[in-house]
Amino acid sequence: MSYWKLVWKNLTRRRSRFVFTLSAIAVGIASVVTLLSLGTGLEAEIRKQADVLGANLVVTPRGWCAYEQISVLTGESLPEAIPSETVRAIERIGGLEAVPYLTQRAVLHNQPVPLVGILPERMRAFKNWRVARGDYRLDGSHVVVGSGISDRFRLAVGDTVRIRGQEFAVSGILEQVGNRDDLAVYMDLAVAQRLYGAGDKVSFVAVRVDDIGRTDDYIAAIQSAADVDVVSDKQLLRSVLAIVGSVGNALQLIAAVAVLAACFGITNTMMTAIYERRREIGILGALGAGRGTVFSVFVGESAVYGLLGGIAGVVAGFAFSYFAAPYIGQNEFTAFVGSEQSVSVFDLGITIQALVFAVLVASLSGVYPALRAARLSPVEAIRYE
Amino acid sequence: MSDPILRAEGLTKVYDGGYRTVALEDVTLEIPRGSLTCIMGPSGHGKSTLLHLLGGLDRPTSGRVYLDGEDLTAASPRRLAGIRSRRLGFVFQFFNLLPMLTALENVQTAMLLAGVPRREQEARARELLRLVGLEDKLHAKPNQLSGGQRQRVAIARALANDPDLLLMDEPTGNLDSRSEEDLLEQVRAVHARGKTVVIVTHSDTVAALAERTVTIRDGRVVPG
Repeated sequence: MSYWKLVWKNLTRRRSRFVFTLSAIAVGIASVVTLLSLGTGLEAEIRKQADVLGANLVVTPRGWCAYEQISVLTGESLPEAIPSETVRAIERIGGLEAVPYLTQRAVLHNQPVPLVGILPERMRAFKNWRVARGDYRLDGSHVVVGSGISDRFRLAVGDTVRIRGQEFAVSGILEQVGNRDDLAVYMDLAVAQRLYGAGDKVSFVAVRVDDIGRTDDYIAAIQSAADVDVVSDKQLLRSVLAIVGSVGNALQLIAAVAVLAACFGITNTMMTAIYERRREIGILGALGAGRGTVFSVFVGESAVYGLLGGIAGVVAGFAFSYFAAPYIGQNEFTAFVGSEQSVSVFDLGITIQALVFAVLVASLSGVYPALRAARLSPVEAIRYE
Repeated sequence: MSDPILRAEGLTKVYDGGYRTVALEDVTLEIPRGSLTCIMGPSGHGKSTLLHLLGGLDRPTSGRVYLDGEDLTAASPRRLAGIRSRRLGFVFQFFNLLPMLTALENVQTAMLLAGVPRREQEARARELLRLVGLEDKLHAKPNQLSGGQRQRVAIARALANDPDLLLMDEPTGNLDSRSEEDLLEQVRAVHARGKTVVIVTHSDTVAALAERTVTIRDGRVVPG
């Protein structure tokens, strides 16, 4: 006989109650794990996207909010607001390379996909893209697509796609690069401007500077040349992460409420157990169990609820975040999660955090009932009918 | 009387939960080492209360209980738990086995609480259950045993840590006459091994076993 065997036998004597209490803590922990997992995946993905933008500075229309800045990273459609004259003014500043983007939405097989209007050769050099199949040809009747789009819609070179009522042939498929560049359709900028009625405007301009030590000088130069806002990639990343972080914190607070409710469930279960097992507590006392032993038996039972509920919650949480991710990548905040690279199936750090949290809060939930049990006089408990 | 293992001096127990009840009043007695003593008397006159006080399960309102000279009424809860675990064995009328454990595990639990290593527990528990004739019921749970068998498991459990003193509260109160006879045989055997036994009982059959009898009436010892 061991202490843990005694704890286990006590827990499993009423199986349905055991399962329901365990389920409550598992649901709470699963929601924490899901949000931590998605949040971690989202943050990692945002950092990766910021890197692959390939720019040191992003030129946006004056007055854009952080929400629109997120869209620069996600590739969501953005209003066209920077005229070509401004783009040319920026290009005239020496020591930098400027690449305009017009980000819009196309519909393939009734599903929305990002469409980016680009200057083909400049973008290819800027991003170092390679063509996996076909040619890199963008004009009034040809587009190229990322490898993800090709896989998702089973598009091959020569297939036609209908965009805004006009048919385009897929001239080439880009090599996979492992980020959102894989998940867009690329069109010649002028054609896209005409098709989407954008005039001569673009959404934003990515800028790579030759001397990164003089970034502030470039920002000043761009702002004196044109009436635009300029953010560095680091500022952009910071503001996006701050928004994502605050949304994540709010969601985790909701998950914490679920765990708190589960903890009250454990306290309730343990209080009920004490009333039911009053006589047994007396027997243990008569056999020589001190207050500390009775206390530790009840806290031990709560801790086991936490551990098993935590394990079930971790498994359910990772499974849910893995399977749910594609379905929640529908807006700018969660768009990254939709890409299959962003959610890990298992994360040791999250697992350890969740299990420690589960055992800790479950044990704390058992403290009050355990104190009540430990304070019972053996003879009172034995007399109890 | 020479070498008492247990001595009670002026024990009084008053319950005052809105209505004052004197359960025991100024009880003084000695239990000789190695004796078999019966405490008799009508129901509700304080026999079980006296047994609980003698075994350190409850504290008196006034008076003292000494076990081999150690004052149990002054001992800390932790010390009392240690004494109950290693020096005393209890058997109750309603068996009081832990229902989710097998016979073997019930006996082992007493050893667990005394800190006996796990590998020693099982061998000793098997031996004790063999001594009470339950070697074929080791893995039966209490609800699979008859009343007499449950009480024998309770005796094995009470003897698990080789106590000096066995305290029994109406041990035959819930048994038929055949089971009572079997149980008395077990008690005789325990006493023959040199244990001090104190039995609270109504039964004349049980009392016939005793070397000495203490009668309690209205919470007081009736002079013999």
